[in-house]
Amino acid sequence: MNDPFATLGVEPRFGLDLRAVEQRHRELSRTLHPDRYAGAPAAERRLALGRAIEVNEAWRVLRDPIRRAEALVALAGVTLREEAAPKADPAFLMEIMELREELSEVARKKDRGRLAALAGQVRAREEKALGALGALLDSGGDDAKGAAKDVEKALPHLAELKYFRRFLDEVSAIEEDLTDALP
Amino acid sequence: MAYSEKLIEHYENPKNVGALDKEDPEVGTGLVGAPACGDVMRLQIKVKDGIIEDAKFKTFGCGSAIASSSLATEWLKGKTVDEAETIKNSMIAEELNLPPVKIHCSVLAEDAIKSAIADFRSKQSARRTLASEPEAQGATPRAAE
Repeated sequence: MNDPFATLGVEPRFGLDLRAVEQRHRELSRTLHPDRYAGAPAAERRLALGRAIEVNEAWRVLRDPIRRAEALVALAGVTLREEAAPKADPAFLMEIMELREELSEVARKKDRGRLAALAGQVRAREEKALGALGALLDSGGDDAKGAAKDVEKALPHLAELKYFRRFLDEVSAIEEDLTDALP
Repeated sequence: MAYSEKLIEHYENPKNVGALDKEDPEVGTGLVGAPACGDVMRLQIKVKDGIIEDAKFKTFGCGSAIASSSLATEWLKGKTVDEAETIKNSMIAEELNLPPVKIHCSVLAEDAIKSAIADFRSKQSARRTLASEPEAQGATPRAAE
């Protein structure tokens, strides 16, 4: 993967001013727009198009906290392979299992109040995990070695975030179902 | 065609969905998760006289993960614990004809089986330790002589 931070010319860190990054994406997209290359040689047009695609993809990566974190992990030279990923803490998995069971119960009963409460609970956990993840990814460590260690320590938080996201995707799907079912 | 009939059958009509009492000393519980997709799977076995007499699962995940764990519980029933341990993800993937991108679902099922067996064994050895404690106490003074 290309370095999305370099593509958009922003500092490689987790805590980013997303509005500034979006602005940067917009400016670059404008300069690379095909209309500006209408009279240019074919090779140049192709290059601009390729670069425009890269710029769009970089913005999609950076705006998503999970993908942004994964890009930083990759930049730190840590490979993220499923088999190599640290095993989730059993207590955490148990909690996710219980939350998922409760969620399916809530969906069955069409209990909107409980659904909102569950979603709120998981969103709060997500916020906390994002905070911990950001602090570790942006710590800089005492030196390069310390920074790499902090990236390793950030991995469990990144894994937790995926379980939370999966849960919240499920919440959205249930909300949609409930809305469709309205008379 | 993308998905095999067997896979669809296990997805549409999963076998052995549910829970066993995880406090029961004869029950082993395996709980695993796939960090890549955020899916979770619980697989339980109930062992009587060395034979798995019941198996249940609950999976929150994609169709392939549900089918893999459903098939795993079917295979587990009637096997000895040692036989159960020889079930490999490749056997599940082959039986269900899983597409390459879904192989990790069968890996998750194998992990769940292994984790349930490990839980059952650790419960059994904890029980044996408890049962043999009075003996061990009796043996200590002699050993000290």
